[in-house]
Amino acid sequence: MNPAATAAARGLASCHLCCKLVAADVAHCPRCGAHMHQRKVDSLQRTLALLVTASVLYIPANIYPIMITDQFGTSIESTIIGGVVLLINLGSWPIALVIFVASVMVPLSKFFALYYLAWSVHRQPASGNRQRTLLYTLTELIGKWSMVDVFVVAILVALVHLGGLLVIRPGIAAVSFAGVVIVTMLAAHSFDPRLLWDKEEQNNG
Amino acid sequence: MATLIGCQGCDMLVDLTAMPEGGRANCPRCGHFLARYRSDAVARALAYCISAAIALVIANCFAFLTMGAAGLQTTMTLPETAIMLYRYGMPDLAILVGGFILVLPALALTLIMAICVPLTLGYAAPWLVDSARVLYTLNEWSMVEVFLIGVIVSLVKLSQMAEVQLGYSFWAYVAFSVFFTLAVSTLDRFHCWQRIEAVQLS
Repeated sequence: MNPAATAAARGLASCHLCCKLVAADVAHCPRCGAHMHQRKVDSLQRTLALLVTASVLYIPANIYPIMITDQFGTSIESTIIGGVVLLINLGSWPIALVIFVASVMVPLSKFFALYYLAWSVHRQPASGNRQRTLLYTLTELIGKWSMVDVFVVAILVALVHLGGLLVIRPGIAAVSFAGVVIVTMLAAHSFDPRLLWDKEEQNNG
Repeated sequence: MATLIGCQGCDMLVDLTAMPEGGRANCPRCGHFLARYRSDAVARALAYCISAAIALVIANCFAFLTMGAAGLQTTMTLPETAIMLYRYGMPDLAILVGGFILVLPALALTLIMAICVPLTLGYAAPWLVDSARVLYTLNEWSMVEVFLIGVIVSLVKLSQMAEVQLGYSFWAYVAFSVFFTLAVSTLDRFHCWQRIEAVQLS
């Protein structure tokens, strides 16, 4: 690949907000006014800091109840995993799978994918960056789908309040889990996949 | 220069001069999405946007879900998903949920209209740049379609203990999510900004 074909090699920077190409030393985008930078600022540090935050939040999100059901005077607290088990017991395999994928698989895959990508930048890979960029795109794409469980809690809480008979209340894990989703989305947003390619160019050229 | 784009995935420069009608461009080096093109994108986005706005108003006016068990009945409306969380002492979560499913999508619709109407008329409105900046910054935080999956999961969870009926608002929200997604994806970032620049220079 011709190294002069990148924006950076031609002394250009592309605006992250409006895609305009301007000279790399311009401070603000002449079209939209956004702050210009050739690569996302402190990309790796921010990504890792946010990832660590999300990893810590993931603990209370899983050990505390996400939802509390008061039925005939008794309270049943259910965690995220508890909700999945409940759905399996009800025989709703497809829905149990949806919740398991959205609440357990997606956040965990995002953690591993972003840790791996950050490590890849550090390790200076010579090839395979097309796959890594695809992995990054997927990480960005699936991020918000983890919110499904939080929305389920919001809907059940709003709908189910039958006096002393049956009431569903939100648990503290719902807040933690919403935090996990938002912070991992921010972490994915802070990562700059162009860093992978910069290293490849340095190594080849 | 004007039709060159720097790929956000790998920084490769790609020329988007001759994009076919209805076409979609990906980076030849890393495969990252670059842009999609339709000559009538602004008019289409505006049409989808108006449809979505009507559906969203309807979705807020009627019952979303109704549940009956043991002779008792409860009804919820769309804004109540956020309001009830607030009443249970979780204002932070209430703001997030209300923001992701109602406020941000409504704001996005307003901004798309604020951009598309002047662009259609060829009028260099002073709010164009700021509207587009806010729109493209906040876009990824709308979770309309995720909420719909949440509704379906809730229905299955409840089906064992109670009878649940879908209200008019539910169907309106389904229509809203379709039109909203179409409006957002039609108003391509690269080409929208080019139109804004063109109308300001003319």
